[in-house]
Amino acid sequence: MSADSTAQSTPPPVVQVRDMDFSYGASKALFDINLKVEYHRVTALIGPSGCGKSTLLRCINRMNDRVPSARVTKGEVLVKGKNIHDADVDLTQLRKQVGMVFQKSNPFPKSIYENVAYGLRIHGEKNKSVLDEAVERSLSHAALWEELKDRLHANALALSGGQQQRLCIARAIATVPDVLLMDEPCSALDPISTLKIEELMHQLAKEFTVVIVTHNMQQAVRVSDYTAFLHLGKLVEFAPTEELFTNPREKLTESYLRGTFS
Amino acid sequence: MNSLPTPSRPPLRSVLLRSRKHTILGVDPQKLIKYFFGSNASVAIIVLVLIMVFLLREGIDFLPTYQRELQTYRRAGLEFCDIIDQPLQRNQALSSSLRQAVSASLETLSKPARDRRDAAFLLKRQVEDKTARPRESLTQALEKTPPAPEQIEVFRRELAEASAAAAKALEYPAVFSAAEREQLQREFSALTPEVTDLPPLVQKLVADFSAKDREARTKFAALVTAQEEFEEATEPLQEVVDELKAKALETKEKAVEFEVLETNRKRLLEAAATETDPKEKASLTKEAEESVSEAVDLEESIKEITGRTAELREQVEKYAVVIEKAAADLPKDAGTGAARTLVNDVREGIPVHAREMRAAAGKLEGWRWDKPVSIFSVIGAFFFGTQWITNSSWQDFFGFVPLLTGSLVIAAIAILIATPVSVVAAIYTNQFASEREKEMIKPVIEFIQAIPSVVLGFIGISLVGNLIKDVSEWSWLQWVPGFPIQERLNMFNAGCLLAFMAVPTMFSLSEDALNNVPRAYIDASDALGATKLQTVFRVIVPAGISGILSAILLGLGRVVGETMVVLLVAGNRIAIPDFSAGPGVIFHPAHTLTGIIAQELGEVSRGSSHWQALFMVGIVLFAISLLVNWCARAVARRFEPHKA
Repeated sequence: MSADSTAQSTPPPVVQVRDMDFSYGASKALFDINLKVEYHRVTALIGPSGCGKSTLLRCINRMNDRVPSARVTKGEVLVKGKNIHDADVDLTQLRKQVGMVFQKSNPFPKSIYENVAYGLRIHGEKNKSVLDEAVERSLSHAALWEELKDRLHANALALSGGQQQRLCIARAIATVPDVLLMDEPCSALDPISTLKIEELMHQLAKEFTVVIVTHNMQQAVRVSDYTAFLHLGKLVEFAPTEELFTNPREKLTESYLRGTFS
Repeated sequence: MNSLPTPSRPPLRSVLLRSRKHTILGVDPQKLIKYFFGSNASVAIIVLVLIMVFLLREGIDFLPTYQRELQTYRRAGLEFCDIIDQPLQRNQALSSSLRQAVSASLETLSKPARDRRDAAFLLKRQVEDKTARPRESLTQALEKTPPAPEQIEVFRRELAEASAAAAKALEYPAVFSAAEREQLQREFSALTPEVTDLPPLVQKLVADFSAKDREARTKFAALVTAQEEFEEATEPLQEVVDELKAKALETKEKAVEFEVLETNRKRLLEAAATETDPKEKASLTKEAEESVSEAVDLEESIKEITGRTAELREQVEKYAVVIEKAAADLPKDAGTGAARTLVNDVREGIPVHAREMRAAAGKLEGWRWDKPVSIFSVIGAFFFGTQWITNSSWQDFFGFVPLLTGSLVIAAIAILIATPVSVVAAIYTNQFASEREKEMIKPVIEFIQAIPSVVLGFIGISLVGNLIKDVSEWSWLQWVPGFPIQERLNMFNAGCLLAFMAVPTMFSLSEDALNNVPRAYIDASDALGATKLQTVFRVIVPAGISGILSAILLGLGRVVGETMVVLLVAGNRIAIPDFSAGPGVIFHPAHTLTGIIAQELGEVSRGSSHWQALFMVGIVLFAISLLVNWCARAVARRFEPHKA
């Protein structure tokens, strides 16, 4: 309930999921999801494997469209107040507003510069100085500029795993999205790289709204302002992180947090 | 838990010993199976090595053999003659251009008269053909002694009837007026074997033509004279060259014969030396002694040739002066536009030709008959030789360049056509096609590989050749260089068919390359809002480019090595294609490395220089294939970032 009360004093939620059902063909994956993501906050989605947290994340930028037969069967998803399934929504523009970072770092086999500039280029930006400026800004946000400014034209695949993942973040924020979706961004990284990305997330929240899927509950505690707990396709509990971890309202949440699922 | 009985354990010692039961000839069957598989894999390597050894063994002797042949070519004086004779070949082309120009010019006046004359001759011939039998009977009857007047009379009547009928049945062309037709019919009806003179009207037609021709010759007197001067100028020089050539050839034949007998003698003597039976030995020695011929005194006979250098130079100089004068005398105008172009070409060509001849004459002095032919110049003569001439009564040349050019041009055409087709098809199939389309496209394209290449060659001859020729005659396509084409069988035709053959290889490998592009790249691009086309062209194709390049190279390997199609379709003209025709050169015929081996190897005698030359071509072909394949692998490895 406290989430609702804060919503009244702050601007409307950037992402709002209302009564949404989602299914892959005949099998239903998400049931009646309601979720509000606030501006400049980090929202974490946690839950056991296969609970649908990644699916929910991918509903926000319609990445699920690429799976044939995957469909939102009920309810709606609003980004900045607009239903993203409306016929007049341009998928390209939606994805420009809602960036995404994947579990495994996936820079293109191009130079560092080209990786970051890619998003702008496909949206038609040709001006060299605009691109230069965007690359520097994005790399600085991703805390890579100092490390990489002298070898912007080196192949991105030559970077370390942690650097590659931060480069992917830089690539995603180059188009200045409102929302940044992160799908277990640290699961393939060593603890030091993970730490760097977690630090980064606090910085990013100043500029962007972040939604992160994580299976690591400590990480959720460390980085997020709000946490949603999903189980078997249902949103069990959604609350400010501190509240959810210290004083869960639902029994299911409590047993999951304690690690004693029956 | 503990209710199950524990199985009894074997004693400790026997557990650790190797079981001796299952061995074959004392070898563990596991190992045997391993050896079996290993040996199968090594068979391929062994065969490859054997091929290389065999090719080299047959081919490597080519260089010394060719060196000997070129040595004889020089020592017997053939090379000396060729110094003048080679540039003199150009005379033929100039002369034929002039003749064409003259006849085209004359025709402007004399063509109607000539057509009438020729038509009349043709009609007369037709009547004679139709009445051949009665005429023959009459001739025989006339020759019989004693003559039988009655019989002659019968035959004469028969012939007259047949002639009349034939003359009536003729179709008289429109060049004759009605009165002339009637007269011709009358004259043809009256043809008899005794009268050998032409009928009066035909005579008149002949006379008409002669008059017109004379008139034309007067009108174009300057051109006619220049042409005659040019032709006459050649004769004295050609005479001298022919004499020298005959002498040189005679010397060469003697030298070759001597060499053959000499080798034979040596072989017999060697056999005799190892023979133990004294009787056999005696007969072999005797045979060897008989196989002796007189050694040719090359120096003496070459003197007879080089002794005439001064005379030859003088003739060349005379020739050059006369043709230059003829060129200066050539009139500015000719009967037709085409003739004018020809005349202009000749006017420009003659001074060049004269310069070449003078330069050639200058080289005569420096020529040495006893200068040895180095192995490097032999290698040069093979790899950079521009002539592939075999079974020549003069001299065989094995120059590699015409074949290589043919192969390369055809391969280039094929790759230029096949690359876009197969790569675009691969992109479509991999990225845009639905599952059902994929299931259809892939097997169909891969099926092309199963078509026997001889069938494709057949299609090239019967279908593609005619199609290209017909299309090349469409008037609105005349801007295309080389159109209308002369030959149905040409490099473009072969290139098209080879492209078709290369498509399956290139398509399948390109498709694999695109398939190997990691899914994660596509995810990243999609998540950034890229459209499908942007993802394909900015991410997938660049990431798969190494595989695509290597597919193209492997396609190239396939094209260079293909034989049947090029043999059937490329036109098989052994000459460097005429690149002065610009891009239209692709419509010229050519021969190829593979085609020449397939065509000639069956017909040459084993071990001859020609045989060895073909093996040498085979070695080079093998090397090219290896190189192309190696490049394909290197390219595939070079840009494979996502596998790093």
